[in-house]
Amino acid sequence: MYLGEGKNMVIDLEETADSNLDAGIARWENFPASYMSHHGTACCEIAREWITGMDYSQLNAGHPLTGPRWLRKLFKWGPSKWPMHWCQAVREETLDCGALGALSHQLFLARGVRSFAAQFILEFNDVSTRHWGESWGAAGCDPHWISNGLIYHEGSAVAVEGNEVKLWDATATWWINPKQFGGYAGLLAVRLFDPTADASTVFTWGEHRIPANTWHKVARAKADFASKKPAPKPRAKRRTRTTKKVAESAVAA
Amino acid sequence: MKVYISGLYSGTSPQPGIGLSRSLRIAYPDATLVGVEYSNRSSGIHWQGFDDLWLQRPWEELDLAAYGELITELLDGGALWISGTDLEALWLASVFPDGHANLLSPPAVGLSRITKPGVEAHKGLPLQIPPFVSTDESDWDLHAFCRKHDWRVWLKGPYYEAVRTKSWEQFEAVRTALSKVWSTQRLFLQAHVSGYEESVMLAAYKGELLGCVSMRKRDLTEEGKTWAGDVQEVPEEFATKLREIIRDVNWTGGAELEMVRAPDGQRWLLEWNPRFPAWVHGATITGCNLPAMLVEAATGIPAEKTTGSGEEFTRVVLEVPVRSRYPLAPLPEPYGGGIGHSMKHPSGMPALAERLHKLHPHLMTANAGAENGTNGNGSHANGYAKVPDSFVHDLKQQDYAKMETPSFLFLDTTAADLFERASTLARNLSTPETQIVNGYSIKTNPDERLIKLALDSGFYAEAISLLEVQKALQIGFKPEQVILNGPGKWWPEGLMPKERMHAVFCDSIADLKRVIAAADRGELKSKVFGVRLRTPSIKSRFGIPVETPDDFAALIDAIALLPRDSSFGVHFHMASSHIGVGQWWHLYGAMLRWCRSLEKLAGRQIEVLDIGGGWFPDDWHEGREDDFTKAVQQARATLPNVRQIISEPGKAMAQPSMALAMRVLEIQDISDDTTEAVVDGSIAELPQYFFYPHRILRRNGETGELEPLRRGKTRLMGRLCMEHDEVAANVELPEGTQPGDVLIFCDAGGYDRSMSYVFGRG
Ligand SMILES: [Zn+2]
Repeated sequence: MYLGEGKNMVIDLEETADSNLDAGIARWENFPASYMSHHGTACCEIAREWITGMDYSQLNAGHPLTGPRWLRKLFKWGPSKWPMHWCQAVREETLDCGALGALSHQLFLARGVRSFAAQFILEFNDVSTRHWGESWGAAGCDPHWISNGLIYHEGSAVAVEGNEVKLWDATATWWINPKQFGGYAGLLAVRLFDPTADASTVFTWGEHRIPANTWHKVARAKADFASKKPAPKPRAKRRTRTTKKVAESAVAA
Repeated sequence: MKVYISGLYSGTSPQPGIGLSRSLRIAYPDATLVGVEYSNRSSGIHWQGFDDLWLQRPWEELDLAAYGELITELLDGGALWISGTDLEALWLASVFPDGHANLLSPPAVGLSRITKPGVEAHKGLPLQIPPFVSTDESDWDLHAFCRKHDWRVWLKGPYYEAVRTKSWEQFEAVRTALSKVWSTQRLFLQAHVSGYEESVMLAAYKGELLGCVSMRKRDLTEEGKTWAGDVQEVPEEFATKLREIIRDVNWTGGAELEMVRAPDGQRWLLEWNPRFPAWVHGATITGCNLPAMLVEAATGIPAEKTTGSGEEFTRVVLEVPVRSRYPLAPLPEPYGGGIGHSMKHPSGMPALAERLHKLHPHLMTANAGAENGTNGNGSHANGYAKVPDSFVHDLKQQDYAKMETPSFLFLDTTAADLFERASTLARNLSTPETQIVNGYSIKTNPDERLIKLALDSGFYAEAISLLEVQKALQIGFKPEQVILNGPGKWWPEGLMPKERMHAVFCDSIADLKRVIAAADRGELKSKVFGVRLRTPSIKSRFGIPVETPDDFAALIDAIALLPRDSSFGVHFHMASSHIGVGQWWHLYGAMLRWCRSLEKLAGRQIEVLDIGGGWFPDDWHEGREDDFTKAVQQARATLPNVRQIISEPGKAMAQPSMALAMRVLEIQDISDDTTEAVVDGSIAELPQYFFYPHRILRRNGETGELEPLRRGKTRLMGRLCMEHDEVAANVELPEGTQPGDVLIFCDAGGYDRSMSYVFGRG
């Protein structure tokens, strides 16, 4: 959207594909996206109807693609015990990012928006991850989502048009910037789940092309004005090159 | 090279002067940069980046002709001038209508094309202008605009300031304040657009676009000003169009297009500022130095290269030493008993606005006549509200000679027509599966004539107390035509009808249990037992809440206890005049969803829906058939078992059906154009004065003609010795109005009538 031509999308695999991230992807390769379980009885049905009804009311005539930020007024962020059922989730005081991501995904679906569960790998510093490790441990929860300065995180992806998506961080309550420069809280990798996808399904997120159901390393952006512009080349050709390179790295992961 | 740079204010709503100096210093290290200011209270005068300072007296003290000559000399002598404030740029355009090679700000023709709110120059760009309306319209039409846009509206001046006005009372106060500060009645109301703010900044010289950048606000101050942002290229399709426009308006200087990007991706243009924005240096440090491009184009002197790193910038707060020979001014004294030092606009911008209004009125006129500026009522912006013919017809039948004032007047054919229309609408919307029927809310006006009209027009009587039930029965309603509602339905004791009523809606779980017990004992009979739902997300004290999962579960359990041999119904009510029309319809959709959940979870079919209300008459009666048709279809699609929908128009029926006549007691001129008049009516008869404007007519004592009052500068003050007893402000009494003349306040038949009180009558 902002980079109509993708001409500054210079992908530097050196920077992103370090061994740390590969280890992170390997570690979280078999992590399923979190989901709410249902007891199959009225308890969970009431809870689900309540939270989707509340979500629609909270829209206050806003656009259906408005992120459900109100969830974070209801729930603090913190450790959760899994598996989690609907009837439990709505009564918790704190929810982890998996629960918040799973709920936001379901709320978008209930609004009639195409939504996909999303997993992220983010970069943080040691002091942050140490605090989180301690507090998860104290609550009797496994801090399996923290590893070597990286964290596993969840949210949802919503389709804006066709397979063009926006990524909702339900915990931070913001849309993730498609231009990623790395560093503190930077998004290094993403996986979007689409149970209906086939091998050719690719999502568009800003300048990124993200194949469905597989971890995809997020290429770093270069600032538009910061360096000399690359020599002019035909537009379509550049885009193809960029896409291909990103896709290759994901397959390799 | 010598560059004069104005707009050095560096507070919470900063001007670009300091940023301009920093950007130009990179491009032209040896240039002499002179800061221009009009107050020594602008902290930017102390910025060390300025080689010199040209401090003027505030605008109210300047001799504009002499100042114009001084600037001409500077420009003729080769100095450049970059203006950092809108009003200064406007004034300079009037001094140099065709520009000056060294004046790096837009010529008059360019400025006339960017006037708010229409911003004519935007045409061709992929942008829309949020709906707006000029405050030249009548108060009646302005109130309609606010309702239409859910009271998410901003009152804006033609150059600076925008204030959110959430209610009519607030709107009136802000209008008075802004008109006074900016010496103009020509303000406008603009609908709010939710989304993310972004801007395009550009530099142009003699119609050639030199460069442009896009910036998204990534952090904001409390006033919504940029604190941090990211800077990116402008998409080529946007830049191409912009290039054409800039050529067309022959732009010179900087500019900023301020926009909001809505969740659906649509961009809305809020304003086009005729100067660089305060964040100009934010773009420079990312590598795009637009002020340098501008100076380079104007002088032909190559700029030093600007190198940038990253594309994001942020602000920090810095302390700097005060410039030698420019000691700080003392703080002004707080007003007696006041809080704070009240020192807005130290450079006298409002004074410049006032002077420009006199000098160049065409430049200072808000362009509110464009297509989205119409109010949709077909009325022209002449300050008159349209008064329905039936009002005039009914009011002419009254005998004013003998009339004691103040006095409520019943508009009989108007009232009959309203009920007839409501009844026809309900009939037309009904289908064999679902009957649509109206309910008359007795509390909106318990006048017997209205209750009788309701009865004759096939309405149900909607009561909130047993006294109201009894009144309906006395007038001829049968118990089976009565709906009982609200928390006071048991009051006063002993008046509950023995016969079966049409519907009883429970206002709380406790109320529901009491209803069930009374029904079990045979003391309360109703065809429909139901619940009133409290609107989640919109504050209300009524109905059963669903705010928490436990509330919701308790409601589901309670519904299961309702008598099985009666139908089940749901009632919800929220005043659309209060939350706005768009939001009311969203609420309607939301409530249908809650109903569907209740039906599914409680295992009771919803057969009756009772929906209200509080409609402003124009929002209910005027061309809404399509909305209602859709609403009925939506209800059927969501709740297939609904057999009856009871619609409660609320005050939409009562409000137009009565007017209040009062007499002028005294008229006093306060100044050349403002007048105060005292009337024998008061807020005791018009307690709704704070919530909406009334259309007012003056009866000409000689001819008997009824003349509407338009917007003006007269205040009508009530007879009560109460400070806030002002029944209308901003009106103009027709020529020849004198003490003894009758003024008629229309639209007084709703809560004005039913909540009027006896006061100051001995
Ligand atoms: Zn359950």
